[in-house]
Amino acid sequence: MTRAVSTVTIESAIAGTFRRVLELDDLDERTDFFAAGGDSLLATRVLSAIAREYDVELTFDEFVVDPTPSGLAALIEVAP
Amino acid sequence: MPAVVAAPRAVADLCAHAERAGDQAAVVHGDESVSYAELWRRVELAAREYGARPGVVRVATRHAPDTVVSLFGAWLAGGSYCPLDPRLPADHAARLLAGTAAEALPADTAYVLFTSGSTGRPKPVPVPHGAVDAVVPALRELFAITPEDRVLQFASLSWDTCFEEILPTLTGGATLVFDAEAHTGSLPRFLRMVARQAITVLDLPTAFWHELVHHLAETREPLPNCLRLVVIGGEAANPARLAEWHALDTARIQLLNTYGATETALITHAAELTGLTGADVPIGTALPHVREHLTEDGELWVGGPSLASGYLGLPEETAERFVTCGGQRFYRTGDRVRRAGPHLLHLGRLDAQVKVRGIRVDPGEVEAHLLAHPAVTAAAVTGVTVSERTVLAAYVVATAVAGDLPAELRSHLQDTAPAHLLPARIAVVPELVRTASGKVDRRATHERYAPPPATTTHQEATP
Repeated sequence: MTRAVSTVTIESAIAGTFRRVLELDDLDERTDFFAAGGDSLLATRVLSAIAREYDVELTFDEFVVDPTPSGLAALIEVAP
Repeated sequence: MPAVVAAPRAVADLCAHAERAGDQAAVVHGDESVSYAELWRRVELAAREYGARPGVVRVATRHAPDTVVSLFGAWLAGGSYCPLDPRLPADHAARLLAGTAAEALPADTAYVLFTSGSTGRPKPVPVPHGAVDAVVPALRELFAITPEDRVLQFASLSWDTCFEEILPTLTGGATLVFDAEAHTGSLPRFLRMVARQAITVLDLPTAFWHELVHHLAETREPLPNCLRLVVIGGEAANPARLAEWHALDTARIQLLNTYGATETALITHAAELTGLTGADVPIGTALPHVREHLTEDGELWVGGPSLASGYLGLPEETAERFVTCGGQRFYRTGDRVRRAGPHLLHLGRLDAQVKVRGIRVDPGEVEAHLLAHPAVTAAAVTGVTVSERTVLAAYVVATAVAGDLPAELRSHLQDTAPAHLLPARIAVVPELVRTASGKVDRRATHERYAPPPATTTHQEATP
């Protein structure tokens, strides 16, 4: 239960990071970062925000598997 | 070794280090180390495989020492080096190669690279050995390279920026470091790698440096002590990020802003930014080998021995950009500059060209790729600023829109064009804005159709 709640919280926090980094309002938990205009360097900024916020160091290769707020939230959840 | 007498100076320098300090580490790759003697042995082997005068040696590059071996091997054999990104779409790579027939290349060509062309076809730029011989000593001096230095190999090996890392390092008896941890996208891992490899010199794209400074300012993480010099270049440095850099514990690290073009071989101007503040970040003063000329409308012309031979097989484009003035050959950079004390300030472009992650892009080249799609009847591409960086925005007019055309165009471009030509935003619009004379007005088109900016953007600007 708590797990699901925290995933939702992380998802919306990362969607907020996407909005800020991509300077777009119109996106949600399933928005693909690259289809919305992101590139590898902007992804670095998202990864840095995640490292600071959740103390989880993801790489670009992990990012691109499912480059959406929900995909990243899932990675953060399973990180040691 | 009689072969070396006639070899380019960079090759002779490498050979001299192999003879004098053969045990010194030339190249480090992760945990492995290759000595100068061993590197030279591999270079000789590669040269023998290429055969005498092999013409253009095309190399699929990767972040590993064998790319360096190929470069020096091609030169030792008397050939020209042409790096190719193995991730390029096959069609695009074939078009690039079609423009570099060996018989058309000037005999003294050190390397061939490509710059964006408005017709949708990149222009091959052959750079002669004389240019490399002029710029490499200037860069060794600018970076003050000594055999104690450990320089990270960070730049893509298919662009000329990597020569700024490779050539001053290996002709200066220092160590070039390859490490996969440099390219993971994780800045904490990047910083740990810098410390672990005892890197002394970093040459970073300005856009990456912006991200690094942002990260350091947010985390208050210190930069590793081993670092003595950070070189940036590729696009305008952000004054706010520079102020943040100075506010960090960076006083002992020298920061150099650099400017140059493929047509003028690597770096032509550099500015010492250590301790410098202000609203404009200068591109600096001309290096000793460079001649500069400012026209009345403020265009920077660059002359001297580091100029490229022109655009291969494109006499009109060559005549337009490479001009003779007062008996001197100059390259018209298309950059508008102004003098400020000893430095030049960059004011903008005289044409529509934009810099995307340090790579020059002619919007016309992207438009040509978009127009190659059957559904597109008109296209306008322009550079827009997102998160302090320039990205491409494309506006297209289409015949009949079925399904998700922007997604389809994105995949069309991925199949036909290199990654840096992919617009961050593609929008289908009813018509392009045109000037009174009927010409497409890229800026006005963007202003009419641009999505409203996100309401949260200001948060990023205040630490």
